[in-house]
Amino acid sequence: MKYKDYYAILGLERSASEDEIKKAYRRLARKYHPDVSKERDAEDKFKDINEAYQTLSEPEKRKAYDQLGQRRPGEDFQPPPDWGSQFGSGMGGFGGFGGGRFDDVDLADLFAHFGGAGMGGGRGRPRPRAGQDVEVVAEITLEQAAFGTELELTLSEPEVQDDGSVRRVPRTLQVKVPAGSVAGQRLRLTGKGGSGVQGGPPGDLYVDLRLREHGRYRVEGRDLYLDVPLAPWEAVLGAEIEVPTLDGRVTVKVRPGMRAGQKMRLAGKGLPSRKGEPGDLYLVLTIVAPSVVSERERELYRELAAASSFDPRANLS
Amino acid sequence: MNPVSPQVLDADTPLALDELVAASGLPREVVVELVEWGAFEPLPGQAMAFRSVTLVAARRASRLRQTFLLDSSGLALALAYLDRIERLEQRVRELECSAPR
Repeated sequence: MKYKDYYAILGLERSASEDEIKKAYRRLARKYHPDVSKERDAEDKFKDINEAYQTLSEPEKRKAYDQLGQRRPGEDFQPPPDWGSQFGSGMGGFGGFGGGRFDDVDLADLFAHFGGAGMGGGRGRPRPRAGQDVEVVAEITLEQAAFGTELELTLSEPEVQDDGSVRRVPRTLQVKVPAGSVAGQRLRLTGKGGSGVQGGPPGDLYVDLRLREHGRYRVEGRDLYLDVPLAPWEAVLGAEIEVPTLDGRVTVKVRPGMRAGQKMRLAGKGLPSRKGEPGDLYLVLTIVAPSVVSERERELYRELAAASSFDPRANLS
Repeated sequence: MNPVSPQVLDADTPLALDELVAASGLPREVVVELVEWGAFEPLPGQAMAFRSVTLVAARRASRLRQTFLLDSSGLALALAYLDRIERLEQRVRELECSAPR
């Protein structure tokens, strides 16, 4: 089991009062709550902050945690041999561990189920409890979002055994991602979350789809943006150019006199939609000049410079 | 292993009020109050059904309520501002996307 320093996570001394614990939690929750924070790793930090607060804010849990001693964060450790039985009335099945190992147990799972199902000691028959909802982020490519795919998700979930003890159990799941998905799309898999306890229903699994950065397209919603370089003469004279789209290359007519930064819209060539209108593909025009030219080309440019009255810096004079 | 077909939380699939309550973890009365505040919008002509994407907002409301102990008026306000921030961020991303790199 890996040690987590809950006091350090909340920025507190080990002697902190209940009031100091609450204040530290509120300050950090405001800063790192994933629904309001833009801090990097806010989600992971908030999870730790919440976990620390859930343990330290309850006197019995805090006492049990303190008896684990102070260690380096991340250090592998085993609780003292009699630790589980000391908290037999609160530690559920861990009371029965005796000298058992805690290798596949997470500290958070241990305290999350403190006082939970499976405990003996006269608190009556354990009640059924629903499993936890599980949220995962899955990164897919633009092409997978457009045409659909199947994802293999491996989840490591706490599972409460009938005796109340908790184990991390790996579970693999094959999930269909429908064609026409977009970044930020949420998928819900009913009953595929954490297992229920004592006959309680399982939780749900939520998949938050993210799009891997694409080497060619920039994506916003269902719209795609593609930089399309034009040669100077193509911008001036117009041209027929070939560009890639998600479903193959198409020929596009560029009208004469295009400027860098102008956009051309190819309606319906963005990400498809499961229902309704597909997105659009925007060609963002850039104009590039050749860096190496032949003597003949140089001659023609000189001729053009002499013949042209175009002043690109007229607005600066 | 047979692949599982998920429910897509979007504007097209309906979700019953009871399911919204059960899946979000919000008490029923809070969901009803959030409808009154205009934070959740029932499907036209169906007071007991929502777009399934409402569940994303409802789960967010549930997390905010749990952490910040907000009542329904505070939740409605927070959801409105978060929605506005997301729209502004979307606009910024659109502008960034449309500028050549």
